[in-house]
Amino acid sequence: MKNKILMAVALASGLYLVRNLYVILLQLPDEAAQGAIYRIMYFHVPGWITSFSAYFLAGLASVWYLIKRDPRADEYAVALTEVGTIFTMLGLATGMVWARIIWGVWWVWDPRLTWAFICFLIYAGYLMLRKTIDEPGQRGRIAAVVSIFAFVSVIITYKSIDWWRTQHPGAVLSFRAGEQRMDPAMEGMLFHNWFALTAFAGVIMMLRLGQERMQRELDALRRYTHSL
Amino acid sequence: MGHVFTIAWKDLRSELRTKESINAAAAFSMVILVLFSFVLDISGDARDFGGGLLWLVFAFAGALVLNRSFAREQSNDCLDALVASPLPGWALFLGKAIANFALLGIVELVALPVFGILFNANWLRFPAWTLLTCALATWGMTVIGTMFSALTVNLRLRELMLPVLVYPMLIPVLMAAMQLTTALLVGEGITAEDWIWVKLLIGFDIIFTSLSLALIDFILVS
Amino acid sequence: MDQRNFLYMFYGFAAAWFLLAAYLLTLVSRESKLRKEVDNLKRMLEEREKKG
Repeated sequence: MKNKILMAVALASGLYLVRNLYVILLQLPDEAAQGAIYRIMYFHVPGWITSFSAYFLAGLASVWYLIKRDPRADEYAVALTEVGTIFTMLGLATGMVWARIIWGVWWVWDPRLTWAFICFLIYAGYLMLRKTIDEPGQRGRIAAVVSIFAFVSVIITYKSIDWWRTQHPGAVLSFRAGEQRMDPAMEGMLFHNWFALTAFAGVIMMLRLGQERMQRELDALRRYTHSL
Repeated sequence: MGHVFTIAWKDLRSELRTKESINAAAAFSMVILVLFSFVLDISGDARDFGGGLLWLVFAFAGALVLNRSFAREQSNDCLDALVASPLPGWALFLGKAIANFALLGIVELVALPVFGILFNANWLRFPAWTLLTCALATWGMTVIGTMFSALTVNLRLRELMLPVLVYPMLIPVLMAAMQLTTALLVGEGITAEDWIWVKLLIGFDIIFTSLSLALIDFILVS
Repeated sequence: MDQRNFLYMFYGFAAAWFLLAAYLLTLVSRESKLRKEVDNLKRMLEEREKKG
C-alpha cells in the first residue's frame, strides 16, 4: 500500500515536471534583459528552496533525535540531508551555467556563492562523518549535533543577499522581496516548479529512508551472525 | 563557575609543563609563514593578502592545539573519569575552551611580531581594534575547535574527519577576521562597511558558544 | 550571442535533470544490492538453524 502511494506520487511529480517544462520552454516568453537563459531560474530557485527546506527538516529531526533518542528521527535526518545535498548540487550547477552567460565566468567569489559553497562542504562533511561511525547510537548523537551546527550556515546563506552587497540577484519571490518584482505568470511558474520539485524530493527522500532502514536491518543481522 | 577555572587551570598547567602542542603550533606557524613567502611575491610591505595570510597561519597552527584538547584525556581513561565525575558537561567544555583560548593567544603573541618583521606589517596602527578582532576571532575558533575535538574524540578516523568538518565551519570566522585584519593593516581601520564583519564575529561567537554549551552533554556520555 | 544564450539554457536544464536522474539510478542500484545482501544473510541464518 505504502509503496503504491509512493509510486503514484512519483509518477504525478514526474508528469508535473514534464508539464512545467512544456510551459517553461514553449509558452513563457524570453525575459527582456537576459533572454532565454533566465529560464534556469525555474530550476535554480526552487532547487535551493527545496534544498534548504530539507536541511531545515533534517535539523528538526536531529533536535528530535537528541531529545527522544528515537532512531527513526535519525533515519529521517540522513535521508533529508542527502536529498538536500543533491539539490544543493543542482542549485550550484544551474547557477554556474547561468553565471557563464550573464557574468561571463562560471564562478565568482561573491558572498552569496561563497556561503552556498560552504553549506555544501559542511553537509558533505556530515554525510562523510556518518560513514565513519559504526555504532548507531554514537553516530546518531554526533551527527545530530553536527547537523544543528551546520544549519547556521544555511541561515547565513539565506540572509547573505540582505547583509552584503553581492553580485547575485536579490530576492525575486514577492513574499520575500515584499513587492511584486516579476511578471505574475513567471512567478506563478516558479511556484509550480517548486511544488513539482518538492514532491519529487519527497519521493527520493522516502526511497532513501527505506534504504536506511534496510541498511540498519542488515547491520543488525550482521552483528547477530557474528555473535553466533 | 569554580569548576570551570579548575578545569582551565588543570589544562593550562599540564600543557605548560610539557609545552608539547604549543611548541609544535608555534614552530608550525613559522614554517607556514616561510612557505607562504615563497609562494607569494612579497617585496616589502604586507598588502591586501596580509590579513588572509595571518589567519590561515592561525587556523592551521591552532588546529594542532585544539585537536588535542579532548584527545589528550584519552590516555589512562581520564576522559571517562571526567565525564563520570559530578562536574557538569558545560563546565568541562567551558574550562577547556578557556584553556585553549589562552594557548592560542600565546601562539598568536609569538607569531604576530614575527609576521610583522617578515612581512613588514605594522600591528600598532589600530591597537585596540587589532586586539578586539584577534580576541573575537580566536574565541570563535576556540569554541568550534574544542567542540569538534569533543565530537570526534572517540572516532576511529578522527584525524581524517576533523579537518573535513572543522575548516568549513571555521570559514565564517576566518573570513571576517581576514577582512578586518586587512582593513587594520593596510586600510583606513574599521569603516562603516566593515561593521558587518564585526557583527558577524560577535554573532558567530554568541551563537556557537550557546549551541556548544547546550549540546555538549549529548556528546560526552560514558 | 543569442544562440549561445539558448544553448546554455539547455545545458542548465540538462544538468538539473541529469543530476536528479543520476541520483535516482544510484538509489535504485543501491536498493537491489541491499536487498540481495539481506536475503543472503537471512538464508545463511536459516541454513545454520536447520543444521543446529
